[in-house]
Amino acid sequence: MSTIENLPLWAAILISALLVIGSSLALIGSIGLLRFKTFYERVHAPTLGTTMGLFTILAASMLYFSLAQTRPVVHEILIGIFVTTTTPITFMFLVQATLYRDRFEGGDPLAGLSEEQPQVKTPNDP
Amino acid sequence: MSTDVVLLTLLVVLPFAGSIVAAFLPTNARNAEAWLAGGVALAILAIAAYFFRPIARGEIPRVEFEWLPQLGLNFILRLDGFAWSFVGLVSAIGLLVILYARYYMSPDDPVPRFFSFLLGFMGAMLGIVVSGNLIQIVFFWELTSLYSFLLISYWHQNQSARDGARITLTVTAAGGLCLLAGMMFLGQIAGSYDLDVVLRSGASVTAHSLYLPTLLLIAAGVLTKSAQFPFHFWLPRAMAAPTPVSAYLHSAAMVKAGVFLLARLWPAMAGHDYWFWVFVPLGAATLLIGAFLALFQQDLKGLLAYSTISHLGLITLLLGLGSPLAAVAAIFHIMNHATFKASLFMAAGIIDHEAGTRDIRRLGGLFRAMPITAVLAMVAASAMAGVPLLNGFLSKEMFFAETVESHVASALDDALPFIATLAGMFSVAYSLRLIHQVFFGPEATDLPRVPHDPVLWMLLPIAFLVLTCILVGIVPQATVGAFLNIAVRAVLGDATPYYSLAVWHGFTPALWMSLLALAGGTTLYAVMLRYLSGDVEGAPILRRLKGQRIFERAIAIASWRGAKSLVQSLSSTRLQPQLVLLLCVTILAAVWPLYKGGIDIHVPKLHEIDTTFLLVWIVGCVCALGAAQQAKFHRLAAVILMGGAGLSTCVTFAWASAPDLAMTQLLVEIVTTVLLLLGLRWLPKRREETSRPANLFIRARRFRDLAIAFIGGAGLASLSYAVMTRPQTFTIATNFLEKAYTEGGGRNVVNVILVDFRGFDTLGEIAVLGIVAITVYALLRRFRPARDSVAVPEQKQFQDHFDAEHDALSKDTISAHYMIVPGLIMRLLFPVVSMMAVFLFMRGHDLPGGGFVAGLTFAIAFILQYIAGGARWVEARLTVLPVRWIGFGLLAAGGTGVGAAFFGKPFLTSSFQYVDIPVLGRLPMASALLFDLGVFALVLGATVLMLIALAHQSIRVSRASSKAVQPAEGAV
Repeated sequence: MSTIENLPLWAAILISALLVIGSSLALIGSIGLLRFKTFYERVHAPTLGTTMGLFTILAASMLYFSLAQTRPVVHEILIGIFVTTTTPITFMFLVQATLYRDRFEGGDPLAGLSEEQPQVKTPNDP
Repeated sequence: MSTDVVLLTLLVVLPFAGSIVAAFLPTNARNAEAWLAGGVALAILAIAAYFFRPIARGEIPRVEFEWLPQLGLNFILRLDGFAWSFVGLVSAIGLLVILYARYYMSPDDPVPRFFSFLLGFMGAMLGIVVSGNLIQIVFFWELTSLYSFLLISYWHQNQSARDGARITLTVTAAGGLCLLAGMMFLGQIAGSYDLDVVLRSGASVTAHSLYLPTLLLIAAGVLTKSAQFPFHFWLPRAMAAPTPVSAYLHSAAMVKAGVFLLARLWPAMAGHDYWFWVFVPLGAATLLIGAFLALFQQDLKGLLAYSTISHLGLITLLLGLGSPLAAVAAIFHIMNHATFKASLFMAAGIIDHEAGTRDIRRLGGLFRAMPITAVLAMVAASAMAGVPLLNGFLSKEMFFAETVESHVASALDDALPFIATLAGMFSVAYSLRLIHQVFFGPEATDLPRVPHDPVLWMLLPIAFLVLTCILVGIVPQATVGAFLNIAVRAVLGDATPYYSLAVWHGFTPALWMSLLALAGGTTLYAVMLRYLSGDVEGAPILRRLKGQRIFERAIAIASWRGAKSLVQSLSSTRLQPQLVLLLCVTILAAVWPLYKGGIDIHVPKLHEIDTTFLLVWIVGCVCALGAAQQAKFHRLAAVILMGGAGLSTCVTFAWASAPDLAMTQLLVEIVTTVLLLLGLRWLPKRREETSRPANLFIRARRFRDLAIAFIGGAGLASLSYAVMTRPQTFTIATNFLEKAYTEGGGRNVVNVILVDFRGFDTLGEIAVLGIVAITVYALLRRFRPARDSVAVPEQKQFQDHFDAEHDALSKDTISAHYMIVPGLIMRLLFPVVSMMAVFLFMRGHDLPGGGFVAGLTFAIAFILQYIAGGARWVEARLTVLPVRWIGFGLLAAGGTGVGAAFFGKPFLTSSFQYVDIPVLGRLPMASALLFDLGVFALVLGATVLMLIALAHQSIRVSRASSKAVQPAEGAV
């Protein structure tokens, strides 16, 4: 078991840089979540953290533990895959729910776009 | 010696084994059942015969098996002369009753149940008789109560049979519980539960300060079982049983258990005046009241029941007198009563069978129609009345002679001869009535059936018993002399007095009393004849004194009205007051000892706390508070915030190096949230107007609740904190940490504790979990939601409507446009999550994981499929059988535990070794892994079952409501 002291300097700098980048991205995403006005805007902000931010932190983790245990540690790839496949599902559901809610309350944000789509006409429409 | 051991064990085992076999024979196998049961009874009789010689020589065959040696309790079977005579009685009359029952039971009756219970009862009765241990006696005692309940309620379609069985069970089993307490007292006083020791320590028992409570408790058992006043009322009610049962249980066996025990404990307990004062007054009262009431019964079996009560009173009285000669008379009368009463019950059954009624007033002149039955019944009834040259006369004369003697100087003792003679008169009168009104007098014309004598086989048991009555009555010494002698010697030992079994003793006072009773009884009957033939139901004077009604009223008050008023005054159906009460009591219970003993909490300085950890906790606390604040008016928000609080707990566990707990916490959070969300659907819509109450009172109440909640929560938190920060030196945890690998074979101590060290706890816990899941399922099956939440929620309606307008409405949920991408990913995740579950399961013994976590993970895989596709879609593609998984889990876990027994180890002992498995590598293979598999299957089954139960509600209710709506629309 080796500790932080035994890490080579280049690795320590690289790992720290990756960690700082990742957490900064997550922080920016969180600030965005707070600052954006509408839900549809807000939903994009956290993805900064869940994509690039996540990747850099995972890379830092892989690097650190591979060096510390002197063997390749690649579990983090799985974490990356699962987070990137599952996060979009959450956002899709959230957006769909909001969409229906907005429609229910009167304002359809897609109303302007719907003209381009062929509408299904009901027979007893005048 | 070994033959003795085997035979003595068979004596008890054989009937129970027969009972199990009988239960599995075909429903209409009357002959096979009768052969089986008769064979068992005959075998027991043969075993008894084999033991007669050694017992007559004074030996006591004895077997002892270890039962609870730590408590000095052994399973002892001992067969002394007294027990031997009862074994003979129980098996011989059992054999006759079985023969009788073969012809009595109609082809429509399900006989396996009858014979199975009868054999079981026989086994229990033999168990009482040959037990050599006080606790063991009580065990078999309660078993007879149970079997008698089952036998009385044999025709359970009859209300009266059910009621009678229930009353019998309540009275006799309650008495049995008293008896258990009394036996424990007795065992403590004597210093051993071994019957031999107890019987030898008579002097120390009667001198002990706890003698009176012991006596009263044992008396409660004896008096209820032997239907003594004031507990006699169950016996007439038990007459709803089939007649063979009455002939067996209520003449020879069950009711005799009480007097058997009285005689059994006689050497240990009778040497005190209290003994006299408990049993003699009650015995005398029962003797008189029973005989008096018997005369006025209109039901044939009712008459016999009250007569039995009266005769049991006589035996109790005799045993209560405390003199050896009286004990001899009692034992003799036990035998005689069994013979003539069993035959009378059988005769009553035949009359009922043939004439179609048991009402004495409707019967009459049956002598011409059924002469053989009539003659047999007449002899038996004469024996019951105490006519000379029959066995009843002998023991009754002994009884009369005993009452004349003086025992404990008192007015009661002086009055005994008069009470005895009076009871004798009534006994003669009711015997006379039984014969005269049934077989003689004007011939009955309006009987439901045309009576005639039954088949010979049905008369045979009666004839045999009646013959015994006559033979014993004429040549007592040659017939029962030897049997009575060994029985009496076993009870009285060296104190056995000289007694004579001759028919003629000269002109003694007892003879005059007998003659007076005969003459008086005949006169009494002649005087009362008109009155008895009238419409009178029940006896004069005592008509109002109905023990049964008092009992029923007491039961009603205790179990219904009392309970109801208690519930009304102490309880509420509203959840909030209950919780307030519970919390307040908890707070008080915690504060009280702390106030007395003080508490020191190490309050951490701010700089000692890690900032990140503090932040996590601030977030968690805010989430928890928010959840509480939103709980009433925005439930969805509350559920989400609760998840936040849970996540911060999860992070705390991970922080404190408890990855197992962190993982479990995370999964439990996920599952709980999903289940809560499913449940939210059925709660009524929130009402905005109640959120800000103007009423001052309501506000005050809310503040009170807030304060209570705060005190409770903060108090519990600080208490846990104080406990957890306490310096610990050597605890059980240290022990677990040391031994987890050396003895449990696992490096994951948490898992080793769960499946090995505390395996029994886990087994109990998973059993509870399984029960909870099945209960949830059972409750939800009949769930009817509130009317306003039956309809599809507004949002969903809108959504469906919108989709129907803009897109084609899809048939199943998963092909709806908004589910296409997520649904696909969720489906693809199923194997991945399952793999994760297997991974967690396999590594559980050494690394964080284990059956519980794996089960939850797998359950989440299923939950995902249900979310993605809806219940119908999933179940069309996957066969989900959660109840079987629960069953398999319990079997696997329990089976692993039992498996240890094959290696001679105690329950749930585990063994382990490493096994090389291709691809996966070297894996620890503890037998605990199999146990863990059970945990896994059960957790999975329970979680999925609850999920399914909730998920199916939407389908069921919407179907039901659409059915309800359709006709209305059609009408419009």
